[in-house]
Amino acid sequence: MDHRLRDGVGASVIVISYALNKLLTAIARQHQMKERLTEEDMAGHALSDAERTALSAGDIGRLYELGANPYLIRRVFRRRFPI
Amino acid sequence: MAEIVAAALTAHAPLITGKPDVSRPEQRDRLYAGFHELRRRLAAARPDLLVMFVNDHLQNFAYDNLPAFCVGLAGSYEAPSPGGAGLMRLTPRTLRGHPEWAMALLEAGLAAGIDFAYSHDIESWDEMSVPLSFLLPEATIPVVTVYTNCAAPPLPLPRRCLEVGAFVGEFVRGRAAPPRVALIATGGLSHWVGTPETGRINPDWDHWALDHIARGDVAPLARLAWEEIERDGGNGGQEIRNWIALLGAVPGWKGEVLAYEPVAEWITGCATVWVHP
Repeated sequence: MDHRLRDGVGASVIVISYALNKLLTAIARQHQMKERLTEEDMAGHALSDAERTALSAGDIGRLYELGANPYLIRRVFRRRFPI
Repeated sequence: MAEIVAAALTAHAPLITGKPDVSRPEQRDRLYAGFHELRRRLAAARPDLLVMFVNDHLQNFAYDNLPAFCVGLAGSYEAPSPGGAGLMRLTPRTLRGHPEWAMALLEAGLAAGIDFAYSHDIESWDEMSVPLSFLLPEATIPVVTVYTNCAAPPLPLPRRCLEVGAFVGEFVRGRAAPPRVALIATGGLSHWVGTPETGRINPDWDHWALDHIARGDVAPLARLAWEEIERDGGNGGQEIRNWIALLGAVPGWKGEVLAYEPVAEWITGCATVWVHP
């Protein structure tokens, strides 16, 4: 038995926001880049207030904390990264 | 029976081809030389089929459906697609798949308890397009893909990747045709992509991994936990699963590191490795 596996069962450390990732995936697949998202971009998506605020601000650090996949953050908000 | 005539491990960042001008010329030239030497050796091995261990970046498999392991049954692959070509500064092109061979792999896997998902339609991103722009400049050889989830945690254990790779290796060698098969795994080494540490590279971890690969000592890599890789290799370092799968297919083979460059401007620890008996 792998002890890490046994000890890790049920102890989730990974935060995923399906709502954020669903929206960012749709934008990334259209090969679009954004500085921030507009109300129109977010229309129809079941986002929390915190998620809407982070998307509106293009706050890449906060989006990561809220469970957006970092590859999607990079794809959509590419211009927000200094490198 | 078929033979594995070539095996290689490479990086696959979009900026390798997308922004060659921003990197330090000496680093870029050494890495490109590594790719060119891999191409020379691959061509000399005269493979009839390329089996690629790669990972998606949410381009195909998103949070509505995320397979841990997926066999590509596509008849052809856009590598790159017109949409991705701009970022990677590559000409869009289509590579041939080998759906019959891939279906046989899928069926054999499921029969052996390897629970592959499968897909008939995959849009390649940098995982195929960038390394194959060097290694397969003419789209002459059909390609079969084995996709492993490296980008959307939770991820399969590296140990399981080794087992899946071992199965693929046995399957290749158990088939009569095509007779000459090359294996290529892409991704890694350390890089932080889209996280608060974006741009970080950890050459110490990269050298640790490369030293083990050079000795043919894959067990310590297969024992890695997700948390360790995330800490030392970054979220991009999770792509080492593809390398581990390939190494599982060729037990005892050793790596010859042709190039390793931590290219800050491409935010990736980039390597090209020839793997041989």
